[in-house]
Amino acid sequence: MPEISAGDTAWVLMSAALVMLMTPGLALFYGGLVRRKNVLSTIMHSFFILGLVSVTWVLWGYTLAFGPDTGLGIIGGLDWLALEGVTGEPSSVYASTVPHLAFMAFQMMFAIITPALITGAFAERKRFKAFVLFAVAWSTLVYAPVAHWVWSPDGWLFNLGVLDFAGGTVVHLSSGVAALVAALFIGRRTGLVEPATEPHDVPMTVLGAGLLWFGWFGFNAGSALGANGLAANAFVTTNTAAAMAAITWVTLSWLHRGTPSVLGAAIGAVAGLVAITPAAGFVTPAASVVIGLGVGVVCYGAALLRLRARVDDALDVFSVHGVGGAFGALATGVFATVAVNPAGTNGLLAGNAGLVATQALAALVVAAYSAVATAAILVVVNLVVRIRVTAPAEEAGLDLAQHGEIAYQP
Amino acid sequence: MVIAALVCFAILFVAWMLAPTDGRRSSRAAPEVAPDLAALPGPA
Repeated sequence: MPEISAGDTAWVLMSAALVMLMTPGLALFYGGLVRRKNVLSTIMHSFFILGLVSVTWVLWGYTLAFGPDTGLGIIGGLDWLALEGVTGEPSSVYASTVPHLAFMAFQMMFAIITPALITGAFAERKRFKAFVLFAVAWSTLVYAPVAHWVWSPDGWLFNLGVLDFAGGTVVHLSSGVAALVAALFIGRRTGLVEPATEPHDVPMTVLGAGLLWFGWFGFNAGSALGANGLAANAFVTTNTAAAMAAITWVTLSWLHRGTPSVLGAAIGAVAGLVAITPAAGFVTPAASVVIGLGVGVVCYGAALLRLRARVDDALDVFSVHGVGGAFGALATGVFATVAVNPAGTNGLLAGNAGLVATQALAALVVAAYSAVATAAILVVVNLVVRIRVTAPAEEAGLDLAQHGEIAYQP
Repeated sequence: MVIAALVCFAILFVAWMLAPTDGRRSSRAAPEVAPDLAALPGPA
């Protein structure tokens, strides 16, 4: 029987709490970006998911994602339904120095924030009831299997040698692609004036980005699943990539639009955090500088292209999480080195070009599955409850029309 | 106990399906009625 380490357990539980804080942080990040008549509904998407997926994860999500495999490396079985058999003793498979329940709780916070990321795409026009159905279905049918493919030792992508330290493909690419599909499905917001709708509260968005950045230390450094040198490496690479992407995005906006954008600093930092997520425990701090610069440039370009394409992914989820997640997955294939993590694999720069191909395959498969499954879920949900609110409700704002409340008193 | 836990969630899920889709039972405001956005401070 493996022995529990007090230090590792404290760090994993603390990291779970840090990742939990990211979802309210995301609520503020998104809330500031929408018009004032939709701020509560936007915040509610993230906050409700915090409750909703906490429960579904305990009941069936965890066992589908991390439970003993059903045979093909595609999905876990129901052995751990409602956490039966998941106890304070370490798992024989995952994180052998912490209680199994601590590992489960840490993974739960990832499962919560992933569907919350998608909500930025359909902000300001989605019915709450349809959102609830979508969130339950998506976290069950997309997140759980993809997590199993990549992170279960029996998962088929895991066994191909895919590296995803903290969720570049599982969390960000899957949600980013789902966001693009959702935006295309639900259509553009009415009454949208170009350039894109002004954020109603930039300080709220910057506060949200700050909370995300803070919580991301748990997301990435916590994924070392121990209080050790690997966690320290992930901590440093996470901060460095976020910092580099933030100042890169600001620089680009300064050169492109003539002013250094505050909003750009916030969005750039998030792009950097996304890109370093799969790589944090496999690359050196120096590599994280390059990754931060690269993702800042790539995601800035993707955001500009999104505007030109006139796809109303309202809060640029695809440009930041989809593109940033794919970039990070490929960057992991380039910069990974066993000098940082002996349990990983060398990447292109260490003489193993094959890892780039493996990472690219994983990115393609996860993107394709997320796109198809998300589209199917949207079609079915739309048959049960019309996803889009009525035009008068959209005009009135979802805070009042869907929630009967307003954020700011006159 | 596993069954009981699943039933608890199922009860809530059914309640969500039965709940008003567009808040029509709300005493605060009908969804079709736009608020007086002009009365709110700042841009809409």
